[in-house]
Amino acid sequence: MIFDPDLPLIDRILAGEQNIYADLINRHKQYAYTIAFKILQNRPEAEEAAQDAFIKAYQNLAGFNRQARFSTWLYRIVFNTSISYKRKNNKVFQSIDNTVIAYNHEGEVSLEKTDKTRYLNQAMTKLSEADRTALTLFYLDEFSLEEIAEITGMQANTVKVRIHRARQRLADELKILLNHEALTL
Amino acid sequence: MNRLTQAQEDILLDYLDGNIAGTEKARLEDELRVNALLRSRLDELRSVHTIFQHTTLEQPTRDFTDRVMQKLDTAPAPTPSRWSIRNAIFLLIGVLTAIGAASLLIASGVFDGTTSISLDDSALPQTIIKQDLPALTLHGKLIVNIIIMLNIIVGWILLDRAILRPYFQRRMQA
Repeated sequence: MIFDPDLPLIDRILAGEQNIYADLINRHKQYAYTIAFKILQNRPEAEEAAQDAFIKAYQNLAGFNRQARFSTWLYRIVFNTSISYKRKNNKVFQSIDNTVIAYNHEGEVSLEKTDKTRYLNQAMTKLSEADRTALTLFYLDEFSLEEIAEITGMQANTVKVRIHRARQRLADELKILLNHEALTL
Repeated sequence: MNRLTQAQEDILLDYLDGNIAGTEKARLEDELRVNALLRSRLDELRSVHTIFQHTTLEQPTRDFTDRVMQKLDTAPAPTPSRWSIRNAIFLLIGVLTAIGAASLLIASGVFDGTTSISLDDSALPQTIIKQDLPALTLHGKLIVNIIIMLNIIVGWILLDRAILRPYFQRRMQA
């Protein structure tokens, strides 16, 4: 059994120390927001969905059965809440302000790489929300394939296949977009 | 052939993820040297892989935590589960007592007889049912044995879920 560092905090919250929940939020808000953003592709909506998910998690904290890590349980709530938001506000239009550009640590990003990133993000919108989230979680390197399956509601034995297929599809889309761009130059 | 098979694509992705080694890796690298199509596809997949490797976490707004905590003030507080280990032990004792009592009654022969219920004696109007209905035979011992079996299953589930697992989880946290 893996020791979950969140469990002592959960016990204190359940014992009545509500302010401790702020520590749990601080630990998990970046992941929660990233998952919501990957699904909704809209910052204000992702922020609202992630906050909503934290409130739902708080209200159902007593029902957390501790069979899995708290983070896996929480991100599953974030995933489901974001999917509900997406269905509610199903917008086709994507503002340029909301286009994801990955931050590069090295600071020196070549124009070609920036273009590829932009096109990849464009291609990502063609994937399902579950595939997009699974790919992001896979590359963030924090979760096992089983945990990714639990968060995204996929079958554990199909997660790897779905991640493979999603990358193949992105590579195909990227090739088409870059060829199209080259022809229009 | 101008398209790779799914198996070849999977091997290329496993190669990029570092999931193949030894002879399999050497074999693929040999093939990459002679197969331009495979090499070209590896480059395409590597482009995607490289961009994703720079995936970083998105940053929520600075007041994210404060805003959730403010909303929590209006939300009902979570209440701990009423299923404490003590309650589960009481329930388990109840289940075991029921199993013991039923076993004693069976051993003393209380349920040895059979009861027949004749459906012809029922109050159903004879104008609706023209044929003779069969009689139902109830074997008391069989029914009580099934009840004991179900109680044993419930007992095991209680012992596992409500007593042993929470007990060892608490010990690990201590």
